Amino acid sequence: MSTTANAVSDSFKPSLIIPWITLGIIAYFCLPWLALEYGLTDATLDEFIDALGWRNNGATIVVPLFLLLFVIVPRFVRSGRQCGWIYTCASALAILTIFAYFITANLSMGLGAAVILMALSAMFAIGIAEIGFQRGDRFIAGSVIFVILLVCVFVFYPTWTIFQTLLYNADGSFAPFQFFRIITAFGVGRVILNTLLLAMSVGAATTLFGLLFTLYATRSTSPLRYVIRVFYILPIITPPFVVGMALILLFGRAGMINDGLMFLFGPQGILLPDTFARSGYVYGFWGIFLAQTLSLTPVAYMVLNGMLATINPAMEEAALTMRAGRWETLRDVTLPLLRPGIANAFLLCMISSAADFGNPLVLGGDYDVLSTEIYFSIAGAQLDFAKASALGVLLLLLSLSVFVIQKKWVGQKSYVTVTGVQTAGNVIPLPGRLQKMLSAFVVIWLLLVGVLYFSIFLGGFVKQWGADYTLTMAHHKELWLGGFSSGAWPSFINSLIFAFIAAPITALIGILIAYIISRKSFFGKGIIDFGTVLIFAIPGTVTGVAYILAFNTPPVELTGTAVILIITMAIRAMPVGIRGGMSALSQISESLEEASVLQRASSLKTIRSVLIPLIRSTIVSSVAYSFIRSMTTVSAVIFLATAGTNVATTYILSRVESGDTGIAVAYGSILILTMLVFTLAVELITGRSRVEKQVKTNLKTV
Amino acid sequence: MKPGETNITITLKKVFKRFDEVTALDDINVVFEAGTLTTLLGPSGCGKTTLLRIISGLETVSGGDIFFGGDNVTDLSATRRDVGMVFQSYALFPHMTVEQNVGYGLGVLKTPQDKIEERVREVLDMVNLDGYQARYPDELSGGQQQRVAVARALILEPKVLLFDEPLSNIDSKLRRSMREEIRHLQQSTGITSIYVTHDQSEALAVSDEVVVMKDGRILQKGPPRSLYHRPESAFVANFIGESNVVEAVLVNGNDGHRVEIGGIDLALPRNMHIPANPGPVKLSLRPEVLHIEAKSEDKDSACLDGVVTESAYMGPIIEYSVKTAVGDLFTRGPAYETQHPKGEQVQIRIRPDEIIVIPGNGD
Repeated sequence: MSTTANAVSDSFKPSLIIPWITLGIIAYFCLPWLALEYGLTDATLDEFIDALGWRNNGATIVVPLFLLLFVIVPRFVRSGRQCGWIYTCASALAILTIFAYFITANLSMGLGAAVILMALSAMFAIGIAEIGFQRGDRFIAGSVIFVILLVCVFVFYPTWTIFQTLLYNADGSFAPFQFFRIITAFGVGRVILNTLLLAMSVGAATTLFGLLFTLYATRSTSPLRYVIRVFYILPIITPPFVVGMALILLFGRAGMINDGLMFLFGPQGILLPDTFARSGYVYGFWGIFLAQTLSLTPVAYMVLNGMLATINPAMEEAALTMRAGRWETLRDVTLPLLRPGIANAFLLCMISSAADFGNPLVLGGDYDVLSTEIYFSIAGAQLDFAKASALGVLLLLLSLSVFVIQKKWVGQKSYVTVTGVQTAGNVIPLPGRLQKMLSAFVVIWLLLVGVLYFSIFLGGFVKQWGADYTLTMAHHKELWLGGFSSGAWPSFINSLIFAFIAAPITALIGILIAYIISRKSFFGKGIIDFGTVLIFAIPGTVTGVAYILAFNTPPVELTGTAVILIITMAIRAMPVGIRGGMSALSQISESLEEASVLQRASSLKTIRSVLIPLIRSTIVSSVAYSFIRSMTTVSAVIFLATAGTNVATTYILSRVESGDTGIAVAYGSILILTMLVFTLAVELITGRSRVEKQVKTNLKTV
Repeated sequence: MKPGETNITITLKKVFKRFDEVTALDDINVVFEAGTLTTLLGPSGCGKTTLLRIISGLETVSGGDIFFGGDNVTDLSATRRDVGMVFQSYALFPHMTVEQNVGYGLGVLKTPQDKIEERVREVLDMVNLDGYQARYPDELSGGQQQRVAVARALILEPKVLLFDEPLSNIDSKLRRSMREEIRHLQQSTGITSIYVTHDQSEALAVSDEVVVMKDGRILQKGPPRSLYHRPESAFVANFIGESNVVEAVLVNGNDGHRVEIGGIDLALPRNMHIPANPGPVKLSLRPEVLHIEAKSEDKDSACLDGVVTESAYMGPIIEYSVKTAVGDLFTRGPAYETQHPKGEQVQIRIRPDEIIVIPGNGD
């Protein structure tokens, strides 16, 4: 691990401490100590003033006085180390006291209190740096503290409230076996089984199809293989449940395909009368299965494609020089070497299926899975937080175990056969018959996907899908032409703004986390490591439930605000930022940083002048991808969006639930278009394959 | 496999290869004699690997013909050509044991299992790895992996053996013994072999013949000695061994040829082959034909005057750079003689019978 060598100073420079203390004191006097009922932007002046610390409770005047102490202490204490200890203990004490105050008084923290806590944390970081943490590197110490705080507040704390909800009954009594009671209750077993069955089938199907597509894209000689590149873009720009909606448009009771089938095979059918009856066959297992397979196969494709690229072409050539034909080479060499990738793809798609919320919601019918069951426990009439927590814990455990399996078992077994020196090599084309069959398969698939997307766009212009196919602009008019505060605009603008704020936060924090994890070792690293595992593994639904439980009550009350949505989006997209950061940093030799340090540069300067310019393109693509993810996320925000903070995806879902298919589909199509334009614009500006690369990076295990 | 039973002559006629705009091989006409080991040598990008891969069948030609013995194999794929290839990265199948790796080809040909085991044992014995059948490639050292790769190439008794820079990934200490093993194997089996390397001392040590390539063309083909002592171009002179290239004037006198180098006049031996016309020529002076001496008072007609500009002690020898009237000359002197320090006035004695005249009057 590289180290920085900032000398531990023997006396504090005032320029370090004064800005933070000043910030804290100003925050105390000018920003609300208590949380405002209606948020910062909607509160009246009176409410604002009432929330100020010194107006509310005179005793809180100790806070600014305490802060002043930090400035005075260095004058009386000789050595830097002693000062460091004092700082560390004092600020820790202060932070804990403030938290205790809010918790016991059952009050919610306001912006002012938050800023003061931040200033105190900075003092803590400076303190431990003086003691010798991280060799006196204040920037790293500060970053570590910051990340630990972030992880504790926004990952550990909410997760813990889920467990807490399980351990205590509604009336407050301790109930350690509530979890088991809930999951053995009637119906829950069925839900669990449904989820697992679906997940495994989808995992198997997507891996198989992904494999076929990958072989086709890299080994076939037909020009069709270039069309498969579209696979990179589709799953990114499509909100998860849109595929489900499109399937209903085509195969639902009133679906277009059904109409056609009725025409040909129904009671008055012209081809084979009375062999077909309208039914809701697309709802339930098969519908969800189809929707998820269509959505997730590109993911399996990308995993396997990445894996295939690590296989040295010389392997296959060697087999050829040993008289093996194309079939034998495929069977004996290529496929066995792909085994780790196949396992990876299976696990990844399996867990994506289990975590998927949108498609089961739209297509589920009677087929209940964990994610929808969790949603209905809270959103429906039940309001059974214990049940939601129990099921959430199950889903989380499932996801965590898959993540661990992936990391420990599959990750180790990759046969990386590309050595440093590359021999020139062509890939061996597919056996002829296989290629023909796959071509047909690819064509059918692409046709289906094409028809799906076409119907999404068409559906926005159709008066009443299934009944009245006259083209109309009514839906789009309602959405877009009613002025900026009606129709789709509020939610659309919200989505844009929130994603726009969340994306850079995600990218930067992700890179910071990646930096301190990959370059530094320190006391407390385990916390951050585990925190990042949780960030990667936690399904969206569980995040949503956890955030509702954690942030609905003091001391940190954020539900109903825009802030919580931004934070949720940031956390949901964080894996993108972290993985991108780690991948970029792994390309940069540590000796670059060491050279900078030898030139007396501080950590901050090294990061700013050496690292960031080198990984600039990763940052850009990270931000872009996070933005897209935030725009299309649904499973977590569905719990947290309110009438005032609606986002595009939740708005669409609510219109689906009220039966306004036309509007929902119209909005969905515009959302897809926006994402498509954005992706293309980013690719144009930053150079072709940035987003592709980012997507590929995100499919490697950490 | 006895010498003479399976060896064939490889003939290339008018072979060329283009990749889009780039011509990788240009008008290649060459014969590789049966039973020989020929090395393709040249700088990066000269086309040697492309040529090797074309002979193997892993690349197709853009034009021209390839013959194995009397058979035109141009349109045959690698699978049908009966070649064995040792790859730079060895390309051992990581998911198979040594036995499965080596026996793979026999398996494809549906040979019965006991016969496979027997043949694998024979071949592994030839490379001194009998007993390693159950190991996996990642359990072997680099040298061992190399030998398994060679065994795998040999087991099908191919007509041609191809080596693609097989020793680049081996540490230098091991390289010499591996090189000798490969040469030994090739000679005992007698299979016509083609070897690609960028290390010219390896090429000289291992080959019956060396082919020097540049920019997709063959510049010269011949036994190592010819290439070293009779380079046909300045490029080959510079590429093989070290040389000081100086300008001189060739004079055709009554009693043989003479060269005028920087003011001194040297008579060339009568039976020396002079591939150039009288007039300005370029000479290649290998460091070993130049002897550095303390400057003597008498003017010696075989010596060039000079000043030492670099003098580096290397252990057994001392390397010198000497500035003379014809430029900076590089030479070596034994360490047991007193080292000539920088700035000293010296003279360089030239042995006339070792002068190499570069053909073509200075190409």
